[in-house]
Amino acid sequence: MLKVKKARYHGIKLPELSLGLDYSDADVQHIFVSHAHADHIPRNRKSLREHTNLAIYATPPTAALMRLRGFKEDIIELPFFETLTTDRFTMTLYPAGHILGSAMAFVESGVGNILYTGDCKTPASPATEGFELPKDRQVDQLIIEATFGLPIYRWKSNEELQSNLVSFARKALDEGYTPIFLGYNLGKAQEMMHMLRGLPETKQIHGAGYPLCAVYEEYGIDLGPYERYNRASSEGCVLFTPNSGLESGFASHIKKKKIAYCSGWASHEARRTQTQAHALIALSDHLDYFELINLCEHLQPKRTYITHTPDPKVVLHELQQRGLDAVYLDMMHEELE
Amino acid sequence: MQNKQEAADNFELWARLVQDIAETRGSNAKVELCANYFAQLAPSEVSLACQFMGEGAFSNISGKRASVGARTIGIAAADYCGIDYDIVFKACRTASGSSTETIQRLFENLPEARQKNTIQHWNLARISELAEELAQTRGRKDKQRILTRVWGGLSPLATKYFLRLLSQGSLRIGFESRSVLQALARSSQVDYEQLRYAHMLTGSLAKTAELACTNRLDQAQFKLFNPIAFMLAAPLHSRSVEHWRDFIAEEKFDGMRCQLHAHGPKVELFSRDLNAITNQFPELVELFGKKEFPPTVIDGEICVFRDQTIQPFQELQKRMGVKKPSKELMGKYPVVFIGYDLLYLDQKETVSQSLIQRRISLQKLAKKYEFPISKQHSVDSKNQVDQLFEQALAHGNEGLMLKEKNAPYSFGERKNHWLKVKRPSGSIDTVILYAQAGSGKRGGSYSDFTLGVSVKEDPRYEEEFIPIGKAYGGYTDQEWKDLNKAIKGCIIDRFGPTAQLRPEIVVELEFEAIQPNPRTKAKYTLRFPRFKAIRWDLSPKDVDSLEQVEMLFREHQSKERSPQKSSRSFLIPD
Repeated sequence: MLKVKKARYHGIKLPELSLGLDYSDADVQHIFVSHAHADHIPRNRKSLREHTNLAIYATPPTAALMRLRGFKEDIIELPFFETLTTDRFTMTLYPAGHILGSAMAFVESGVGNILYTGDCKTPASPATEGFELPKDRQVDQLIIEATFGLPIYRWKSNEELQSNLVSFARKALDEGYTPIFLGYNLGKAQEMMHMLRGLPETKQIHGAGYPLCAVYEEYGIDLGPYERYNRASSEGCVLFTPNSGLESGFASHIKKKKIAYCSGWASHEARRTQTQAHALIALSDHLDYFELINLCEHLQPKRTYITHTPDPKVVLHELQQRGLDAVYLDMMHEELE
Repeated sequence: MQNKQEAADNFELWARLVQDIAETRGSNAKVELCANYFAQLAPSEVSLACQFMGEGAFSNISGKRASVGARTIGIAAADYCGIDYDIVFKACRTASGSSTETIQRLFENLPEARQKNTIQHWNLARISELAEELAQTRGRKDKQRILTRVWGGLSPLATKYFLRLLSQGSLRIGFESRSVLQALARSSQVDYEQLRYAHMLTGSLAKTAELACTNRLDQAQFKLFNPIAFMLAAPLHSRSVEHWRDFIAEEKFDGMRCQLHAHGPKVELFSRDLNAITNQFPELVELFGKKEFPPTVIDGEICVFRDQTIQPFQELQKRMGVKKPSKELMGKYPVVFIGYDLLYLDQKETVSQSLIQRRISLQKLAKKYEFPISKQHSVDSKNQVDQLFEQALAHGNEGLMLKEKNAPYSFGERKNHWLKVKRPSGSIDTVILYAQAGSGKRGGSYSDFTLGVSVKEDPRYEEEFIPIGKAYGGYTDQEWKDLNKAIKGCIIDRFGPTAQLRPEIVVELEFEAIQPNPRTKAKYTLRFPRFKAIRWDLSPKDVDSLEQVEMLFREHQSKERSPQKSSRSFLIPD
């Protein structure tokens, strides 16, 4: 088995392979970036630049999105299903279903293999390349995120959620209101635009999310007609913004509006008063608890590592009850063996 | 005849309506939804629907409680869906911030719970019986058995609201009894004020609805020995007073609010939350019983009164909640009831009269039956109010009450007819040591904070900071958001819902009093601590020390309380 180390906020390191997974320190030779959300992109740019012998890998769409969001270091593009070979390991990327370009890394070495999921979702978000696992391979070590690792989280099907979104928008528009969908600028916004592509009304997206949409279209995701948010013409359109947009004046001039908060966290009633939304739609790009447990059970890894979780005891308890060896990769985790 | 599933008084339908109200924004739209629902019900059904909506499983005046604790419910729910209570259930409850919402989700999601479920389409009356059964049952195991049976027959959504009914608290849907009455006024086409009046007199939404639906609102009658909702005061700082002369001033006593009902030898005392506290103060019962009052209801305050001086609230606390107190306890902490308003006299309610009229009657009554009443001062300027305020503090009282002379007694409402002028007893600069995920409105985010004072230079302690108190409020929504952002960067460690923080964020903490408490590390606790300001401008170096807290305490203790001699805060007619 490979040693797995988590160093506080710097991501995960496989020291024997000198490989960092969504990692921010320059003390490795290879870094894999699973997707283009800020908390997964290497942050310690200065030391990365000084470190000449460092390779950063990502899928082509992830690389494109990272560059658009200001990442200036060199990225080696590694398409899905193509295997990278280094002196210590091979690495193949599989679609993770979280956002466009999101990938899982399957790393094989002389001392066993590891599947690192990054953020993932199965069934996949419809605005992604899908979700696929390595075929005919027994996974030795699985590192998986458990953002929604509690049994209070169970998502509706993508079809049902799509129809929730459509009917919310339709009803608002028909009653003379402007519908506003709250969600991240990257991933959630385009997923919702894709789900709402059938609406004839123009979609306008927050300026920070607008340039990212082109990458989605380039990779064949249909977003329907859309344009950059324009205060003057926004009334009567279907609008997309992150929560923070509303606080800084987005659509503040529109009196008749209906706001839908779309996130896995929308399954909490308390978000209703916290966000002032008219509707809470639990649309998540992560696994729910049941999907998570099923995936682990399906893979039957020799050891499962849980990260990003509200309370690790719950998933560990369930996996252990099913006879799976599981540990929590906490901030300072370092294998002792 | 409608079949069982479609009957309008089906509890499932009620629960869905309640959820719809929760999901609707704007109180007018909420009221309309509710009114449309009421309109479909038979009169007898409206009563129960109203009571469930605004009071709980039982009528407020029944004094009944289901008496099932959160732990009893949580353990039974965990068992019901086959999960571990300590490991799984508690983690879920922490994440969602609500025990009842957690139960709804678990029952929806877990196959083991789903297969036990067959919706029985019980009507409202049946739900009331089931709650009654719970109230009558003693013992955790037996109560859990009943809960399990009920859950088996309800949808997860209905289960959530059934559990909220049992706590006799709010349904947490932004729809309180006032809105229920507005909906009732609309559906039964009666005047809202008339309804509110009937509600005040009956003290019961169910009874009010029954009268409204059968055109008998004029029969609403006040019943002696049933408490009516107290009139509440708004803080002065939030509203400016234009005409001081419209108000009279009274000192705001450092005691507990009490409604005294008396008729002949019989006396009952009720607390702010309308619970009977008669058996906690037998000396008052004896004193007022002997006076043989005509049917009378007086609003007033209970204080510890010794050596001609009103004693601190902390002393009254020794008496609060103690049923049938010993002679010794009563001797050590003698209490007085000070009347300041009259709500009922001789078969007539007086609440719709002006304060002046009520005061005249109260004075006459006090003179005849010899009991203490508050002293009133006329005021005509801010200056004078300030003087009276200082005098009230000198008496050891909390501050001043300003009451509008011509206002009726607006039971159950916090309006600006009564204003309270208070000054917090002090504030200290503290640092946040721990943050805890809150519940309810602020569920799932950090909203409870443990605050520390500095002991860096204190030879008694090894630590740099030690906890002095826990605060849940006082911050604005924006501050709360900023705080949650800032906290993310300071987390050192997590214990379940609690995060330990690097001491960085400085908070000016306001409190009512400092109390010695040997069980805590600091040996002191603060009464009513709350945020006064987040001091982004200060660093942990600026935090006050424990020694400064001790000094404040000593100052407060040694402060002389003026006896009730030359100047008085209440009058005992001679």
